Amino acid sequence: MWYHKPAINEELLQSLPNLKVVASSGVGIDHLDLKLLSSYGVKVSNTPYIVSTDTADMGMALLLASSRRLVEGHEMAVSPDTEYFPVDWLGVEVSGATLGIVGMGTIGYKVAERAKAFEMKILYHNRNQRKKEEESAVGAIYCKKIDDLLQQSDFVLLAVNLTPQTHKLIGKRELELMKPTGILINISRGLVVDQDALVEALQNKVIKAAALDVTYPEPLPRDHPLLKLKNVIITPHIGSATKKTRWVMMEEMVESIEAGLAGRPVPREVL
Amino acid sequence: VGKKVQAIYLWWHKPVIDKELLQSLPNLKVIANSGVGMDHLDLKLIASFGVKMANAPHAVSSTTADTGMALLLASARRLVEVHNISISPSVEYYEADILGVKVAGATLGIIGMGRIGYKIALRAKAFEMNILYHNRTRRKVQEEQAVGATYCKKIDSLLQQADFVMLVVTLTPQTHKLIGKRELELMKPTATLINISRGAVVDQEALVAALQTGVIRAAALDVTSPEPLPRDHPLLKLKNIIITPHLGIKTDKATYMITEEAVENILAALSGLPLPSEVLPS
Repeated sequence: MWYHKPAINEELLQSLPNLKVVASSGVGIDHLDLKLLSSYGVKVSNTPYIVSTDTADMGMALLLASSRRLVEGHEMAVSPDTEYFPVDWLGVEVSGATLGIVGMGTIGYKVAERAKAFEMKILYHNRNQRKKEEESAVGAIYCKKIDDLLQQSDFVLLAVNLTPQTHKLIGKRELELMKPTGILINISRGLVVDQDALVEALQNKVIKAAALDVTYPEPLPRDHPLLKLKNVIITPHIGSATKKTRWVMMEEMVESIEAGLAGRPVPREVL
Repeated sequence: VGKKVQAIYLWWHKPVIDKELLQSLPNLKVIANSGVGMDHLDLKLIASFGVKMANAPHAVSSTTADTGMALLLASARRLVEVHNISISPSVEYYEADILGVKVAGATLGIIGMGRIGYKIALRAKAFEMNILYHNRTRRKVQEEQAVGATYCKKIDSLLQQADFVMLVVTLTPQTHKLIGKRELELMKPTATLINISRGAVVDQEALVAALQTGVIRAAALDVTSPEPLPRDHPLLKLKNIIITPHLGIKTDKATYMITEEAVENILAALSGLPLPSEVLPS
């Protein structure tokens, strides 16, 4: 299963009586009805760890690109109308700024490791607090309340998985808690953000900019306001899209399928 | 008015400091530059008029290193290309094979390991990159170990092994066209060239040819020669290139810090005190 296709519903499962295993690419499994699959006796696997590093890299790539207005800058540099580069054209400093990571799982932690090298101050919000040694290693401070993180961060990065609890986690209220100079980066799932609220926040300068690797749906309808905003960078869900990682993902999925077909324990099974 | 001028704060290479200007400002004591590069100034000429010069080295290093990393990541993950796909009016679905280059475990070759180059190494280490560097002089062992960097006495060795080559040298007669046809051909065909130093460090014509024929995979340039490039320049038409408008130190915070550094130098010069970051003609 790549990019959530085919859609697994009751109709499909009934038409495939011998289906034993569904191997899903990537780590997210929000697109799968696990209870339904289980009721048909179908095993499910994903590829959790291999995607972490590239996804964390994507988060940092988006953070840096957005802060320094890289896409806008490139457009100016290659535009047929450009005669000179304006001297007052500035971006936002990353080194020494505060990064708030919402969701400090494997990916979130890797983002923290990278951000630390940029001398960033790191805050994080998570269902559970991490161990002291893990916090110290990246200099991360726990924010039990997400509000504290939102109010203090120059950059807010979403690295949660999509669950009923994280659905529209970032809405009008949360965006208004952010600094007006704040930048939102989403590498989790489009549905973690209330997109209409985000459009409004960006249009009214409630926050400064956004960089999204994920939207809802993907791709967005071509007339969606997010596509027209100058202060938005959108990438087509390429968190794990590198040759090396995709190769390993394929190998892992094949391994899981073979095990499932042979009746052996399925590596990376999702229960 | 010319007689009253005692200090000049140079912003983006303006005004142009030539003999005529220096002669018209008899009481000029100091020129403070915004930024660290001094290649646009005739240091000997200025010194011959008894005018001191200063740059702003401390304020720029982190910000410029950030620019280098931003370009490296943007190029590796084809960020500009895919953003344009994402917002394109004709896209109906995302192709599954828009793949980038994995950064973790890749080799970064830093050419020029001064303040900025070293800060890049610190950042690249956190991305689990393997680091090689080439420099006029070798760094101390502890400095190398802190970032896991391996010295390449010969630039060729670095060029042959690196997946990403980052140029962080100052522009001097020795580094002019440092990267030409020969150097590009030594690089891997899967490699990316990133330039945050000066446009003239690269032989631009050779770069165009290399990118067109797949001698190297891609390039990301924050600096070109000139800036901006003429609108019909072949570099602007290539698919595998990112060009940024000399982002270098263009942030709110860095701009503030550079100005502070410049003012410090100016005040010191006017008071007859030693300058914190004086630049002498070599």
